[in-house]
Amino acid sequence: MAAKIALIWPEIALFITTCLVMLLGLSPNKQWRSLCLPASMVGLTVAGVLAAMGMGVGGPVGDTPLPYLPGFIKVTVAGVGLLLLLLQAGLIDRREEALIASGRAFSALRTNRAEYFALVLFSLTGLMLCASAGDLIWLFLALELTSLPTYVMVAMSSSRNRAQEAGVKYFYLGALGAATFLYGFVMLYGGTGTLQLATMAEVIAAEGVNTITMAGLLLSVLGLAFKIAAVPMHFYTADVYQGAAAPVSAFLAFVPKTAGFVALLLICSAVGWTHGESGNALPEALRIMLWVMAAVTMTVGNVLAILQNSIKRVLAYSSIAHSGYMLVGLLAGPGDGTFGGSGVSAVLFYLAAYGVMNTGAFAVIACLERKAADRGEPMEVEDFDDLRGLWKREPALGVLLAIVTLSLLGFPPLLGFMAKLPLFTSGISAGEIALVVVLGLNSAIAAYYYLRIVKAAMIDDPRGEPGAADSAVHHPAYNLRLVTGLCSALGVVALAILAGQLAERVTEASGYIAPVGPSQPVGSATVLETETLPVQLPMT
Amino acid sequence: MTMFAGTLPTLLAAADGPFIATGSAPQWVALMPGLPLLGAALCVLFACLNVKSKLPGYATVALLAGGFVTALAAFLQGPDGYGVATIFRWIHASIGADADASITANFGFYMDGLSMLWMLFVTGLATVIGLYSTEYVASDKGLGYCRFFFAFNLFVFSMASLVMADNLLLLFLGWEGVGLCSYLLIGYFYKKPEAVAAAKKAFIINRIGDLGLLMAIGATFVVFGTLEFRPLFEMIAQGVDGKGQAIGHTWVVVVIPLLLTAGAFGKSAQLFFYVWLPDAMEGPTPVSALIHAATMVTAGVYLIARMFPLYAADDAMVALTVVAWCGAITAFWAATIEFAQYDIKRIMGYSTISQLGFMFAGLGLLGTTGAVFHVFTHAFFKATLFLCCGAVMHGFGGQLSLRRLSGVMWMKGFGITGVCMFIGCLSLSGVPFTAGFFSKDMILAQAFATPDEMIGGATFIGLLLLLTATMTAYYTFRVFFRVFVGPRHFEPGEDDHGHDDGLGHDAHAHHHHNPTEEEEGDALHTGFHPHAPGWAMNGAMVLLAVGTILVASLYFVNKKEDHGWAGTMVRHSTAAYPSPGLAHGKDKPAATTVEPLPLGAPAPEHGQAGKPHAKAGTFLGQDPFKIMYYVSAVLGLIGILAAAWFHAPKGAWGLGIGNRELPSKVRMDAVAARFGPIPKWAENKWYVDELYHAIIVKPLLVLSHVFHAFDKLVIDGLVDLVGALPRWLGTLLRPSQSGVLHGYATGMVAGSAVLIVLVVLVAMWS
Repeated sequence: MAAKIALIWPEIALFITTCLVMLLGLSPNKQWRSLCLPASMVGLTVAGVLAAMGMGVGGPVGDTPLPYLPGFIKVTVAGVGLLLLLLQAGLIDRREEALIASGRAFSALRTNRAEYFALVLFSLTGLMLCASAGDLIWLFLALELTSLPTYVMVAMSSSRNRAQEAGVKYFYLGALGAATFLYGFVMLYGGTGTLQLATMAEVIAAEGVNTITMAGLLLSVLGLAFKIAAVPMHFYTADVYQGAAAPVSAFLAFVPKTAGFVALLLICSAVGWTHGESGNALPEALRIMLWVMAAVTMTVGNVLAILQNSIKRVLAYSSIAHSGYMLVGLLAGPGDGTFGGSGVSAVLFYLAAYGVMNTGAFAVIACLERKAADRGEPMEVEDFDDLRGLWKREPALGVLLAIVTLSLLGFPPLLGFMAKLPLFTSGISAGEIALVVVLGLNSAIAAYYYLRIVKAAMIDDPRGEPGAADSAVHHPAYNLRLVTGLCSALGVVALAILAGQLAERVTEASGYIAPVGPSQPVGSATVLETETLPVQLPMT
Repeated sequence: MTMFAGTLPTLLAAADGPFIATGSAPQWVALMPGLPLLGAALCVLFACLNVKSKLPGYATVALLAGGFVTALAAFLQGPDGYGVATIFRWIHASIGADADASITANFGFYMDGLSMLWMLFVTGLATVIGLYSTEYVASDKGLGYCRFFFAFNLFVFSMASLVMADNLLLLFLGWEGVGLCSYLLIGYFYKKPEAVAAAKKAFIINRIGDLGLLMAIGATFVVFGTLEFRPLFEMIAQGVDGKGQAIGHTWVVVVIPLLLTAGAFGKSAQLFFYVWLPDAMEGPTPVSALIHAATMVTAGVYLIARMFPLYAADDAMVALTVVAWCGAITAFWAATIEFAQYDIKRIMGYSTISQLGFMFAGLGLLGTTGAVFHVFTHAFFKATLFLCCGAVMHGFGGQLSLRRLSGVMWMKGFGITGVCMFIGCLSLSGVPFTAGFFSKDMILAQAFATPDEMIGGATFIGLLLLLTATMTAYYTFRVFFRVFVGPRHFEPGEDDHGHDDGLGHDAHAHHHHNPTEEEEGDALHTGFHPHAPGWAMNGAMVLLAVGTILVASLYFVNKKEDHGWAGTMVRHSTAAYPSPGLAHGKDKPAATTVEPLPLGAPAPEHGQAGKPHAKAGTFLGQDPFKIMYYVSAVLGLIGILAAAWFHAPKGAWGLGIGNRELPSKVRMDAVAARFGPIPKWAENKWYVDELYHAIIVKPLLVLSHVFHAFDKLVIDGLVDLVGALPRWLGTLLRPSQSGVLHGYATGMVAGSAVLIVLVVLVAMWS
């Protein structure tokens, strides 16, 4: 128990911060309330530092076959979380205060509301707890702690109906997803007789994957696919991202996705990449499932993205595609443990990179608003036309958008390229050549819509009609969001330069201790198990 | 001369075998490429700051002078400073699964006699010509000025990287860098279609040669497993490849040198590849002087000299024979074209090709010392000649035709130009005791000293080169007699060098003089006044002319031991080779601290192995190295006299035999008329460009049209189809995103079911 508490110091720090922020928010004094953002950031920084201090201190720090994972994930979450937090922050101005006091308007993103920060921090705490998980119940609770605040955040992110609709959709479908993987977890327990991931790994290593376990695995993966927005659980993505305000969409694209991938990594590590003919793959049935999911997810995400005119929908579909890319790394597994050969380290690298790049893209979108055609509040920028000639109107934003978009596309030598490369190499090392080809084709398709964004922002002229440029206005929190964008663009460039350092960290973090049962697992025995699967399935 | 003696090596390495620098050179040699690189960066900065003064030019000159001082300091260290200086690790990658198969290419510099010699004249000439350029391109002050000096600096950086590289990859970087800068500078007047076409031509033809070099680099890596010079030359010296197998009689010593030769010929405008160099004269004259006469075009000579051990490792000397023959034929061929050219800059361009041919012939005839010395002297006198031509061109509105200029030397302000031109012409013609005389003699003599058994047809090459040398003297003085002396006359050219803008005009205002006092001819009523070169141009010309005179004395430095200073430098480099008839290894004790590595495969060396070398040849029954002084002196004088007879004006400057009274009416016209269409053919450069156009460009164009049609119909169609596929797929999937909540839930459940069924089916089936 003490060891476990030692592992979760960052979460504890974050939880305390959350409580403090909520207390701050109760203050009638505006000055006190405006401390919410700094306090949150300090708390998150402290959590990150604590996590970094615990990283690689020596010896495994978790109790799963991926014992070095938590440290890296928590530091990444703290880092990207800081960016996201900065993006969520609003300003306290007299007009808004008066409107809220009179009950006529309330926009969580325009004002520094403590409850909103608390939701953000709770979600990040949940994400860190996911990484610390050692058993299925912990994992489930952490996943839900990550997700539940986001449902509320989506709904309250904007006063428009669309946000509420998105919140409701997200909640219901999220519940469906949660039910699916909870059912899967139960079957895993039924199949292996344990909730502890480490013990489960030993049991599976010793006895192989029985039918119930396999059914549990498939259901768990399908349920977690909701968190990472993978096919077939991807339907909500575009509607929710579009309905929510851009900062919240940025949050959704990183936090639940990371939680989902952490959970998938933990569960796959419990099954072990020790099956198959070569002895370094997942069990055949799971492999097929992930293979199909990866291929279909990236393809669906990309082909739907090229049809869109709405920037946020494009980013939403591309977020689906990015999940598909990362599934390749998950499928490839730890391989030989080197940076180029390990799919796990590729996934970790990609998660960190994606968090930085994606936040930047949404930050640029969040900076801008356009005047509503009729009257009333300005709306968010919506389609490509709103970005036309951004370079001429707002040079800084144009350049930022170009950098992060090209990076998302995987344009060398930016961070996205550095991140995508190990996915390719690990896929090849694992022998998944066909999947790597699909990955390559999809990267090409993705170039279409990403370059379209760059073209609109950097090459096209501003819209012709006079006064069109006036219709674009700055969001009230423009400065903070611009800083967020700058930080993430800087991160894209800096991390690309320091890619070697990052690669060392992720290689360290992806250290995988293959489970050893009392009797050595034999590849052919595992295949036998899966072969018997269809016959036994109806009995479950 | 004694000032050099102090720096001479106290150690006398034996003449045999390549000298491999084993020590380490000081890190500060990196300043030689570093300062020009800084200059390039500064020019970009100046361009950003929109500097409108001559600051970029002067900054460049200062930095290049710094580079020259560095080169001088490195030189004064003597052989102690020879070795490798690794600045930083550039490329270090393992290849394949094999851990020890790795490719290393550091940003490191290999300093030995050869690179030292090259760096001395590259940095020195770049400084002087940079000074000249500050005035020459002054009419373009502003962005164009910065652009010019940016490319100028970048060129010097690339050339330094090429020459000082300690591995073939860095050499290739420099090689491509100089090619790029050459392209940029030829096309400097980018509004002139000819200049743009010439730039493209130069670039494209060089690509063909570069392919050879690239293939040679690849083959070298495959065979030797390294691209770094030191291990490479150690292996070659022992006659083994990377796996320890003998290379003596294999394809390695034939194919790799031939591929290298292709690269060298492209860059140095030799046979088949030479057509780009005359057109490159469209660039500003300082560029022609520095890049297309003195430095870049000698990169091919450098490459072969650097890789000479590999060439010499072949007993049959196949590649060297090819080099010798191609060089001699090019020298002769270019000289014939010059006979009928009227553009003085083009004449100098062809002359460069011809002289480069001499250098390659020298290399091929195993006379590395002569070839390298000729590179060195040629750099000086040809740069002088170009700068003088540039001064004329600058002064007369771009006029270059020798039919429209006469007596330039007697016009006010052009005296210095004329004298410098005269000095350059003397040297190029090989008049006794000039620099060109000594260096050319070494090559000519080598042709007869090298026995035919070693290089097939060496004697014939020698005769061809002698004939060419005579022709050289003729065409050189043809220019001098027609343009610089005789009755004063000029017709200004079309090109104004931007005199119409106020800036350029002001700069030259003080040179303009009263037209009634001086100029005759039809230029008078057009209101055109030639403007004489200012202090920077005159200074640069004088410096180079003095340099041309001085480098002749280098022949007497270490005359006994090494056949001149160049010999000393070559002896401390990989180009060291016991040239037949020239080597002293026999009668000298091999007392040396630097242990020369015995040349493995060929090993027919003088003295060392005790094996008698094929006996050195003779010329007219004498030692060629002694008698050639007289022979070539006589032939050179014959050439000059012929030029005087046919072209010189009446009077003393016509040597008493000239009779030209009008600017363009000469005795030669009558002679040429008797040859029917041949002079016309020569003037049109034997239609080689047209031939290339017909046999290479046209078929390629036709082919490209065919491919284009195929591309449009088939490939584009396929690509469009593939491009439409994702879109079509997207349209197909789009209805699934209906926005209806229960629709989504159904989709999720149905999708999960489909996936699970799929997994079950696949698992059952497999």
